[in-house]
Amino acid sequence: MNRNEIRDVLLEIIADIDEEADFAGLDDHKPLRDQLDLDSMDFLDIVMELRKRYKLQIPEDEYPELATLSSCVNYLEPKLRHI
Amino acid sequence: MSDYQLIIIGAGLSGLAAGIRAARFGKKTLIVDQHYRPGGLNSYYKFQGHLLETGLHAITNFAPPTRKKAPLNLLFRQLQLSRHDFPVREQLGSEIAFPAGSLHFSNDPDLLQAEVERLFPACGEAFHQLRRAIAAHDPFASTPWRSARSFVAGYLKEPLLENMLFLPLMLYGNAEENDMALSQFVIMFRAVFEEGLFRPEADMRAFLDLLVGQYKGFGGVIRYRAEVEKILIKDDRACGIRLADGSIFTTEALLSTAGLPETIRISGWQAPCATYSGKMSFTETISLLPNAVRGSIRQDRTLIFYSSSDQFSYRRPQSLQDISWGVVCFPDNFKGVPHKEFFSIRVTNPASYPLWRALDSETYAQEKTACRRAAVQASERYTGPYGQAIVHQDSFTPLTIERFTRKAEGAVYGSPVKIPDGKTPWSNLFIAGTDQGYLGIVGSMLSGISIVNRHLLT
Repeated sequence: MNRNEIRDVLLEIIADIDEEADFAGLDDHKPLRDQLDLDSMDFLDIVMELRKRYKLQIPEDEYPELATLSSCVNYLEPKLRHI
Repeated sequence: MSDYQLIIIGAGLSGLAAGIRAARFGKKTLIVDQHYRPGGLNSYYKFQGHLLETGLHAITNFAPPTRKKAPLNLLFRQLQLSRHDFPVREQLGSEIAFPAGSLHFSNDPDLLQAEVERLFPACGEAFHQLRRAIAAHDPFASTPWRSARSFVAGYLKEPLLENMLFLPLMLYGNAEENDMALSQFVIMFRAVFEEGLFRPEADMRAFLDLLVGQYKGFGGVIRYRAEVEKILIKDDRACGIRLADGSIFTTEALLSTAGLPETIRISGWQAPCATYSGKMSFTETISLLPNAVRGSIRQDRTLIFYSSSDQFSYRRPQSLQDISWGVVCFPDNFKGVPHKEFFSIRVTNPASYPLWRALDSETYAQEKTACRRAAVQASERYTGPYGQAIVHQDSFTPLTIERFTRKAEGAVYGSPVKIPDGKTPWSNLFIAGTDQGYLGIVGSMLSGISIVNRHLLT
């Protein structure tokens, strides 16, 4: 997957987690948590969904890598390159 | 290879929520329940052709779908359920009635503030400060037990107002006698007074069907009439369960929502059962009334919490039932509920499990009838007269609760000592639900979810 595809997958996963999510005006470089008003329990769901879909294990100490949309893409790019 | 990756004991709200989480992320999960239908404390039954709900008076933690951080919405997201599939009805308004006066509250917290200022003019500012302190307090931080009574008294310095505020919060979610843990008080204050009360537009059966459907949709398996006789332990790990019919299911992990005393009993855990046996139990009388008598009954209240004395002590009574305090619930008095042929009134009073237990079956039946009559009479002071108009009536005692829910001694709020991290002496056996610490329908479901998230998913 390329960067754009990964970004789309992330938005799809978030939309699936939160039907009220509003992506209009979303800034890729600002924390997702503040912009979308998400809880840490919602972040766990992003992690679990990535694991379910791509058998991807994300250790707990690497969760901060998922803070913004662009940091997510940076973090996932090498892991999902061959998918 | 085990039969399941996770077995959950109990198809109550915490067990179902835990099951949905586990199954959603691919765990092969089995839920077992001794009863023939789900719900545990919050279930339903058919009586004389009417569907009657048990447990639920009103659900706390009301929030519109747009308030994303609200516990109710977080809960729905975690279960991947849509608030659109769950239309709700808000309370009309409720009341705390003491001899010295009444406080009215609704889902608008400003009303309670105004009511406190009306009845206790000297306490208005102090109550406002108390609310701010509650908003700032983190009830989920792991801190030692602190007295909610002393905390509240430090702000209000008005014992009557303190008693009035504690009555609904204790009655709807306190396992301890006399005092309450500050963290629990903060959770309950926000849930009842700041967020508010509502009920599903449909009945409890529809809500349970929604949950069971979601669980099964994710591939979860559920077995009813499956009474767990023993949790099987091998090499310091829980490896399965044996049911009363002798069948055995093996598993990689176990989650018990049966409460601590029951979990201790079936696992052989070396722990003092008495420490974990709650003393607060209740009787409840449900009366069905024809719509024609509505006019003579209070129609503008959803709940009336009452105490016939300005002194209020929350403890197990010295008699079978104590009618000096309790709560009257009008399950039909929610916004927009259409009038039907019948409506019901439920009266809940504190009761003593050991005194009910000591009765022979004949006396038990007689006392049950007498207690029903007494409960209705005591409530009529607040509702208006209805005793003569009752078409059908039923009631439960602490023994009924114990029989159907496995809550030891009928203690609906479980153990006075909670286990917040859900851990047991066995590394793959956890507890969730009432004895993990969160109470109420929203709380117990978040308990099941948080224990699965913390110990069983990652």
